[in-house]
Amino acid sequence: MSRPVLIRREQALRGGQPLSFAIGLVVALTIGIVLLLGAGHDPVAVYERMFVAALGDPDSWSVTLNRAVPLGLAGLAVAIAGSMGLWNIGAEGQILAGAMMAAGVARIGEGWPGPVLVTAILVGGVVGGGLWALGPAVARSRIGVNEILTTLMLNEVALRLTQWLIHGPWKDPDSFNFPLAPMIPDHGRLPALFGRAHVGVIVALVVIVLFAVAVNRTAWGFELRVAGSSGATARYAGISLERKTAAVLVMAGGVAGLAGGIELAGTADRLTEGISNGFGYAGIIVAALALMRPSGVAAVAVLFGAVQIGGQSIQTMGVSSSVSTILQALILFGAIGAGVLSRYQVRMVPGDPDDPGGDGVQVGGTT
Amino acid sequence: MNEASLIGLCAATVSFGALLYLAALGEMVSEKAGILNLGVEGMMAMGAVTGFMTALEFGNPWLALAVAVMAGALTALLHGWFTVVLGAEQVVSGLSLTILGLGLAAYLGKNAVGRPPGAVLAPVDWPLLSDIRWLGPVLFQQSPMVYLSVLAGVVVWFVLSRTRTGLALRAAGESASTADAAGHSVVGLRLTAVAVGGGLAGASGAYLTLSLTPQWAEGITAGRGWIAVALVIFGAWKPGRVALGALLFGGTLALKTRLQTFGVEFSPILLSMLPYLLTIGVLVVISVRARNRPSPAPASLGIAYRREER
Repeated sequence: MSRPVLIRREQALRGGQPLSFAIGLVVALTIGIVLLLGAGHDPVAVYERMFVAALGDPDSWSVTLNRAVPLGLAGLAVAIAGSMGLWNIGAEGQILAGAMMAAGVARIGEGWPGPVLVTAILVGGVVGGGLWALGPAVARSRIGVNEILTTLMLNEVALRLTQWLIHGPWKDPDSFNFPLAPMIPDHGRLPALFGRAHVGVIVALVVIVLFAVAVNRTAWGFELRVAGSSGATARYAGISLERKTAAVLVMAGGVAGLAGGIELAGTADRLTEGISNGFGYAGIIVAALALMRPSGVAAVAVLFGAVQIGGQSIQTMGVSSSVSTILQALILFGAIGAGVLSRYQVRMVPGDPDDPGGDGVQVGGTT
Repeated sequence: MNEASLIGLCAATVSFGALLYLAALGEMVSEKAGILNLGVEGMMAMGAVTGFMTALEFGNPWLALAVAVMAGALTALLHGWFTVVLGAEQVVSGLSLTILGLGLAAYLGKNAVGRPPGAVLAPVDWPLLSDIRWLGPVLFQQSPMVYLSVLAGVVVWFVLSRTRTGLALRAAGESASTADAAGHSVVGLRLTAVAVGGGLAGASGAYLTLSLTPQWAEGITAGRGWIAVALVIFGAWKPGRVALGALLFGGTLALKTRLQTFGVEFSPILLSMLPYLLTIGVLVVISVRARNRPSPAPASLGIAYRREER
């Protein structure tokens, strides 16, 4: 009798990650076809509409790139922390905190000249997000409080703080009692780039490239990665983990907060409770698909932006926009599955399936 | 503030407490076996939508509850497959499960939005007991789900602390290699715990759509799955303490809609931050104390087990 076991490869397959990603995409689209057929839609027409709406012409590209901005920055916020082996699950809250701070700056700086105001709004976003991450950062580095849970909890707190501002102190007096914050002044909006794309696209790309270089090519980044792979090694090499941990988490928060500022001044034009709209959580998927490498985040973010924008467009065909949500999660699950297979090879080995001996993990083994 | 509104507040505290308790209990079982499942919100949504739609189709609330439990367990097993069998990162897989569950629930329930429920789990009116002043309306006129949540709590406590299976399950969460060496199947134990956890989350979702607010709407779970995750920490992974925490957090949910009735000038939105802030406080206390005594968290929580790497 023989049974399949997973044997770990000495080295991961080269080019395994883009391949896993592609497999994840195919798996997701295939399951999507089943779902669409089940609801009586024509999958080909739906996918075609999604593609055209997201990537069909320069104008749709501009919308997709705008969407890729918060996704990429949130992904970067997760990946920066991930390079050091930390989990920043709080990008959602940090985006909101950034947007709140940016909206506060926009209220104060109404009379400032355009370039000053725009810059101040973006800086406000960075500061807001960084401050929101400060608590978890200090708690983690000083007393070892698990940052996964603190950053996660603070997402819900940030959401409620945003709601409170919109329903209370910052409610627009001219909104006919709707819970809406006032629009930011026109000269505080991000200048256009092409089509509907704004300069936030460039800002985000520069930030992502800077961090990719810093993590991959500098001594600072090297220390970060050493600390991530082994805390003991890092301590032996004289790397101060405490300060690095705190600094990295605050930086991650600042990057996510920048996304909040860009969303406020680039697309939303006012503080809303949906201004982050799950970007922080999607950012975790983006970072995971980029294997926590800042350098891979931009490409994944553009693809996820396309899936999201495509998903919005099919609502006019009577298809639920939740299709795009489902696709995003399925891409990740498909890629994880494929990623595992790229690190392992399946071999049939002789033997009794009940025999616990052997070196491999049994595939689907529950015995 | 009058007596009737105070009784209403207490009764609602128990109802919301039970809702949170079911989901938190499930998360606790999963974490006890070493698997952090951040997909609670998604599993709740799947239980909520499948339960509601089964009730629409067949008109039987108990069948609906059973389907919701199954749906929750199956959703959880996806996380189980990726994290337990393939050893994927639990944080990433769990959060993706939340996204997938919320998306899938919205997709499945598209035509059920706004429809009246096909069946509800009607409150149980306990003979004699329900007439007791104060206690009657608070404890003995509740939805059957409230009593089931208490039963679930007792069963989980008993199995975890008084049976060999429970011991093995906790061993899988404390030290997987030890459990393996003792002849237990870590994979089997962890998958079982994940499935049970998902089933309880599914039941919690069904409680929402079959009893508490008998309707389906996208986003009906409203972040309560995250409160459940928080509760497990708040209750230090102990069924009894989680129950007390559930009543406390349930109280904030119940109070949220009633602040104005009581004439309290405090924003209900700010009040709803309380569970998360309290949990952060507890996390800090646990960490400060951890210098002198062991943390209550399962030692292998979040760590994948591969036999080849033991």
